[in-house]
Amino acid sequence: MPSTPPSPSDPDPRRSRFAEKLLPGGTEPDPRFTLANERTFLAWIRTSLALLAGGIAVEAFTTDVFPEPVRRGLAVLLLLLGMLLSAGSAIRWLRVESSLRSNRPLPLPLIGPLLAAGCAVAAAVVIAVVVLA
Amino acid sequence: MDENPATAPLPGNGPLDGDPGLQPERTALAWGRTVLTLIAASAMSLRWLPDQGPFVLAMFGLTIAAGTGIYATQRRRYRRSIEGIRAGHLAPDTTAVFWTAGACVVLGALGIWLVLS
Repeated sequence: MPSTPPSPSDPDPRRSRFAEKLLPGGTEPDPRFTLANERTFLAWIRTSLALLAGGIAVEAFTTDVFPEPVRRGLAVLLLLLGMLLSAGSAIRWLRVESSLRSNRPLPLPLIGPLLAAGCAVAAAVVIAVVVLA
Repeated sequence: MDENPATAPLPGNGPLDGDPGLQPERTALAWGRTVLTLIAASAMSLRWLPDQGPFVLAMFGLTIAAGTGIYATQRRRYRRSIEGIRAGHLAPDTTAVFWTAGACVVLGALGIWLVLS
């Protein structure tokens, strides 16, 4: 992929006041980068939705599999992780967009380690329950 | 406009949006997938319908409303991306991003409330 954005253009008059406030300064990056950032945000959101669906499913469908405290704990853990990841993906989208506007290097995804650690804890809980049962 | 042969618009019968990377289409499809995932995730909660009827219906209704909102603006979003690529600058869709993330946070919070109640 080429990494050189086209020459900076005039600020887009269609930018909302909300966007002006959150993303001040800089110039609009290559529209394709803005769209790629949006798709990356959506991929993170779908990941967090999968965790939310998992949390709801654990509580709704595993009544006969897990003892109640484990079931509730696991469901709340997955739902909390999904919430954190949803909020984190919006923050990441904002940070990437801001870096694109000012031509800075992209920030590291802090939600990556969060997702990995959360999933590892959830998996460890399930393994512990299966082994101890 | 764009000298890079890999990304320059195709001459003649190029894609409708003039972008050989099909970015507007891929982005619109990504939004569509997100709507489907959102509704599938909240549909899981319908399992609680017999015990927590109104609350679960309200929760499901919220995601249906969010999904409908995204779906209703798809055409506008696609057109906006095409025009943005043509013009060389595209305002970031801050509103859609924050509404979607907010809907997911609310869905998670309602889910936790259901689990603990």
